[in-house]
Amino acid sequence: MTIAIRATDLVKSYSPGLNALDGVSLEVSAGEVLVVMGPSGSGKSTLIRTFNGLETLDSGSLDVLGVRLDAAHEERQVRAIRERVGMVFQQFNLFPHLSILDNISLAPIKVQKRAKAAAEQLAIELLDQMGIREQAHKYPAQLSGGQQQRVAIARALALDPEVMLFDEPTSALDPERVKEVLDAMRQLAKGGMTMVVVTHELGFAREVADRVMFMDQGQVVETSDPQTFFTNAREERSRRFLSQMM
Amino acid sequence: MNRWLDRWLTLMLLVLLGWAGWSCLHWLWHGADWTVVVTNLPLYAVGSYPEAERWRPLLCIVAVVVLIVITLLGPRLGGWRRSLPLLWSAMAPLGIWLLAGGLGLSPVGTQSWGGFSLTLLLTAGSGLLALPLGVLLALGRRSDLPVLRGGSTAYIELMRAIPLIAVLFFGQLLIPLFLPPGVEINRVLRAVVAFALFAAAYIAEDVRGGLQAIPPTQREAAAVLGLSPRQSLQLVVLPQALRVALPSLTNQAVGLLQNTSLMAILGLVELLGISRSLLANPAFIGRYLEVYIWLAAVYWLACTAMALLARHLEIQLDPVRSAR
Repeated sequence: MTIAIRATDLVKSYSPGLNALDGVSLEVSAGEVLVVMGPSGSGKSTLIRTFNGLETLDSGSLDVLGVRLDAAHEERQVRAIRERVGMVFQQFNLFPHLSILDNISLAPIKVQKRAKAAAEQLAIELLDQMGIREQAHKYPAQLSGGQQQRVAIARALALDPEVMLFDEPTSALDPERVKEVLDAMRQLAKGGMTMVVVTHELGFAREVADRVMFMDQGQVVETSDPQTFFTNAREERSRRFLSQMM
Repeated sequence: MNRWLDRWLTLMLLVLLGWAGWSCLHWLWHGADWTVVVTNLPLYAVGSYPEAERWRPLLCIVAVVVLIVITLLGPRLGGWRRSLPLLWSAMAPLGIWLLAGGLGLSPVGTQSWGGFSLTLLLTAGSGLLALPLGVLLALGRRSDLPVLRGGSTAYIELMRAIPLIAVLFFGQLLIPLFLPPGVEINRVLRAVVAFALFAAAYIAEDVRGGLQAIPPTQREAAAVLGLSPRQSLQLVVLPQALRVALPSLTNQAVGLLQNTSLMAILGLVELLGISRSLLANPAFIGRYLEVYIWLAAVYWLACTAMALLARHLEIQLDPVRSAR
């Protein structure tokens, strides 16, 4: 199996003496779904934000789709990765001044230099896939949170990425809106997309993840298959976390 | 016991207001002599522009008025709406061509420009120069490069610390010093440049406010889609920031229009300049009230039109409201 992301000894600190990432190493295979769990402040968001260069590293190195990122990487290397790695945020971060269609077709037109008609055609197809085709000509503020997040997924997919990163994609949603977003992600996983998902959704992790990684205080506590993790976690810290969640 | 006092006071105030209002109206209808305004209407519109060519500045004014009406009634005129941005952006070069001449029209020197057409030109010219400069200064002030940030900040703070009238005088005296000998730019252009340099500092601060209102996550979202920092600024951040800044920018635009009256002190015969020269004419001696009331009415009308246009633009630019 080819490795999509390989992280070696990542260290990142926001303030001296407190490491958000404290020597994190991991591998994500192509086509794999890795779910990252852990208490807030454990470094999970910071970790996946290093995968596309939103966070810089203090030391350690990353190999993302064959491009090397480390403490000394250049903007050019990051740009090379971003077109191939999609990201979905907790707060959707759609562009409020653009229609749904323009939100999705902006990057294909401006970054990949695709023809406007082709990019819009693609956007419509993706919206269809997300089950919200009829929203194409509305603006983000007119959509529910769940719909906005599905637009955000479509926007990331429009660049035809090889890896998708999800940073707590359902944490800002009303409970009754969570399922529609998770369903879209499930569909994506079924299609063989390589995914790294930071989430607190235990059901999703259990059902969709190939592996679950548990983090605490900037370190990887354990990485297991979901079956083992949820029924028979190896580490005391994982078990304590799970007992608080359920 | 206070109730009677209240009633009495209210009654007295009403009588006083009524008397003041009535005497004002009485003066306007019977006391005032409006010949100073009526006979000089052409002068107010175009200044001392050569009589044979007066249609040119007049056409300018008419075009602007027509454009304003079309814009405000826009939604009801359907097809016209599409061409509006084009028509508006064509207005400034068209206006300058009509006033200055050349390209088939006989050239007319700036010393004969005047009146409302000059006021319009000064406002539009300095506004169009100041806006891009202001945006650049706002971006400079938020730049990561210390030289750029320091320079922009120093410029903005300096300009805001100097009164406009001083900047205008500096403009008249200093700009010629920077030019090679023999090159001379005329008074109107010097005034427009000085005015724009001044207004840009204020516009920069309004735009900076708009930029600050856009959450950094918008830039992040643009970055992860592979947009370059420049594309992110152009396509994502600036359009939103300018929308936020629009109400304060309107304020600046109205201020700009009114402040063109300061140019009368530099000897330009825009609206106020015309009024001053008329009042100095023995035929209209002592007609201060009439002239200044008329002047106030013209400025009020122009500023109201601007405010209406700005509100119209705000609605047009609000995606959700205009989509309905």
